[in-house]
Amino acid sequence: MISLNVNGKNYSVNVDPGTKMLWVLRDILQLTGTKYGCGIEICGACTILLDGEAQKSCDMDVSEGVGRKITTIEGLSPTGTHPLQKAWIEEQVPQCGYCQSGMIMKAAALLQQNPNPSDSDIDGEIDNICVCGTYQRIRAAIHLAAKG
Amino acid sequence: MSNTTTLPAVKIDRRQFLATTGGFLLAFTLEGGNKAANAAGAAPTVNAWVKISTDESITILIGGSELGQGAYSGLAQVAAEELMVDWAQVRAEPAPAAQSWVTGGSSNIRAHAQPLRVASAAAREMLIAAGAATWNVPPSTCIARQGKVINTITNDSLTFGSLATLAASMPVPANPPLVPASEYRLVGTPVKRTDIPAKTNGSAIYGIDVTVPGMLFAAVKHCPSVGGTVKSVRTATGSRAVVNLGNAIAAVSTTTEAARSAVSNVPVIWNIPSSAAGVDTALYITQAKQMMVNGPALVAEQQGDVTTAFQTAAKTLEMTYTLPYLAHACMEVLCCTVSVSPTGCDVWAPTQAPGWVLGTVMALTNMPASSINVHPTLMGGGLGRKIEQDYIAQAVKVAMAAGKPVKLTWSREEDMANDQYRPFALARVRVALDAQGNIKGWANRIVSPSILFQRGWIPGNVVDTQSTEGGTGLAYNFGSRLTEYVRHPGTVPVGFWRSVGHSINAFVVESAIDEVALATNTDPLMLRQRLLANDPRSLNVLNEAAKLGGWGTSLPAGHARGIAFAASFNSIVAEVAEVSHPAAGTIRVHKVAVAIDCGSAINPDSVEAQMQGGIFHGLSAALWGEVKFTNGVASARNFSNYRVLLMREAPVVSVKIIQSGAPIGGVGEPGVPPIAPAVANAYAKLTRTRVRTLPFFPGSGMSDG
Ligand code: FES
Ligand code: FES
Repeated sequence: MISLNVNGKNYSVNVDPGTKMLWVLRDILQLTGTKYGCGIEICGACTILLDGEAQKSCDMDVSEGVGRKITTIEGLSPTGTHPLQKAWIEEQVPQCGYCQSGMIMKAAALLQQNPNPSDSDIDGEIDNICVCGTYQRIRAAIHLAAKG
Repeated sequence: MSNTTTLPAVKIDRRQFLATTGGFLLAFTLEGGNKAANAAGAAPTVNAWVKISTDESITILIGGSELGQGAYSGLAQVAAEELMVDWAQVRAEPAPAAQSWVTGGSSNIRAHAQPLRVASAAAREMLIAAGAATWNVPPSTCIARQGKVINTITNDSLTFGSLATLAASMPVPANPPLVPASEYRLVGTPVKRTDIPAKTNGSAIYGIDVTVPGMLFAAVKHCPSVGGTVKSVRTATGSRAVVNLGNAIAAVSTTTEAARSAVSNVPVIWNIPSSAAGVDTALYITQAKQMMVNGPALVAEQQGDVTTAFQTAAKTLEMTYTLPYLAHACMEVLCCTVSVSPTGCDVWAPTQAPGWVLGTVMALTNMPASSINVHPTLMGGGLGRKIEQDYIAQAVKVAMAAGKPVKLTWSREEDMANDQYRPFALARVRVALDAQGNIKGWANRIVSPSILFQRGWIPGNVVDTQSTEGGTGLAYNFGSRLTEYVRHPGTVPVGFWRSVGHSINAFVVESAIDEVALATNTDPLMLRQRLLANDPRSLNVLNEAAKLGGWGTSLPAGHARGIAFAASFNSIVAEVAEVSHPAAGTIRVHKVAVAIDCGSAINPDSVEAQMQGGIFHGLSAALWGEVKFTNGVASARNFSNYRVLLMREAPVVSVKIIQSGAPIGGVGEPGVPPIAPAVANAYAKLTRTRVRTLPFFPGSGMSDG
């Protein structure tokens, strides 16, 4: 049994310690907001927060999450009103939306460290893939959320 | 997937009373509408549905799919306008699969907005008639506002819900008055899309997120070679079932990850046909070069006397362009969830063709359509790939074998290596010029595998218009022209990729035009202006893009601009790209200015988003996109060797929407075709190197950051 704290709730899951966090979240805890895109830590669709820091979950052993505070998109704000979520709606960022959980989590970690990022700070930090090409609006939404 | 649509007459077809919720449902037929969707039997007859329920809910049922392009929101906007209700009052849901259409050719809004308008206006008039009957006053004294019918004399009002049952018995008006454009409250405004909030908090359910009680998880492994099959397979430890899928195997387990590890451990022996050695892109290109000379060439389009134009030319130019196979690489991999029982089958799938899914399931289960429920889900991109049925059929077979509901999810590696790829192409353009450098003749021969022939949809002696679209019907005045098609026999599976043939031919045509400009010392914008002199609508788009992109104004040192123009899916687009060349093997696209005339824009904000998205998608492909085959094995494995644009590489895109009032055009695809040539033209200006073979930088990959 592996004990996890996800979005403030404690869970015990009966999986091998080497099981990847992404699939524990999606297939066992049914927190499907965290997405699979590549499985090799490139696309960032699987990004979660681990003690507030962005972490790709697709190649992370579930055992590495023990004793840490895990946050998924579902837990970013209980009411879905985190400044980034509001800004994402205001700027009408998502197209298909599939990459956006990862984008928002990555942006949340960025704003934690750098509450007022420049364009180049954003470009340097947000290296998740969006095949729909919503980058321009993501940048605008991060600025909007930073203004807060 | 283009077809030219002139709006046919709308006929109100039938109505149904809603037994469960109460109220009524109006179904409308668009005569001569899109009949391609239904594999299950008769062509779909209903193009628009409007449902008014006694619980005050207003729902429109849409036969097309929401891929992220905002089609559901756009159509709901149209319905809300005619129903005189607030934007938020209308919900959009998928129509039953048997009445669905294939989402392709950027057609959702351009072909279906009009019938929905009429349907919604008819529903409104019936509600007004019901109110008037209730008060016993003439309908002309009643109006509809915000979900109510108002008696303008007494100021009494009744809600739509309370009138729904009576309204259902009112005559259906044949020609309901439509809200005039001058009175639009919603159409043409950037209302906020209704699907977006759920996409910011993890609650949006995509195909890959479907959860069914008692469900197991499946993973698939395909034979690595095109045309290969399973010779023998044994069960593997750690899996509940191993299923032979003909050209692939699947393993079933308790999580996707466990199923993946099981499938990779399954002892399988493949039957690789000897023909696989010939499935080789280098060989294909060599063959295509021979076929360029020897044909057999079919005439796709001919106008004027091309032969004389070339015989009498003062100068001729000849250029050959080469474009690669491309993968779709939708952000959401292929996936499908199926639950089968002896009496019925439920299928949840991200699909652009729910009607075809129905046909697939009927054929595999031998069940009638009435026992099958197709639930189209949100899609993490479709891009043309989710029209196909391979992943659907696999999930049905696996669920039948497992005897339990199963969610089958492809890995990214399987998704990229087993795509139905954008065809490769070789195109040779010959141009006849007179002594003044004017184009007198244009001949373009395209050698490319045929999507339609490979599927048995056309015979071999017919031009595949999917391969030639964007090469034919050009607005340019060339004096005389000949466009020919040679079908390459390559067996790599090919399919519909965002903008299909336009993605190939716009690069060919617009690069060639620029080469003519260079050869005749003409400004590339001016040359296009001359060629479009008799087409004011096209000329206007070109000029607007040039203006927005600052054509002819000064640039930072080391920057250059390129322009390209392409009409597709009833929209006309021109793009100006500003690029620099920081180092060998790199290119930086700083800005793209795009002008689009899509007739009219229902939601300009969605049009802008689609232009940005199309440009970024086309730019990824132009710079890096390529799938090669050796011994029938695809090179693409993951983003590690199939690079796509990142935020730091993305140009700033500015969009000018021109509302000419022409019939509404598509927006999902038309942003794609001009970007590759606009960048190639800028690059040629900057470096004096003409890129005639895409991608710009083959062999590029990405690594984890
Ligand atoms: S799925 Fe984890 S980075 Fe792509
Ligand atoms: S919104 Fe579709 S991949 Fe980003």
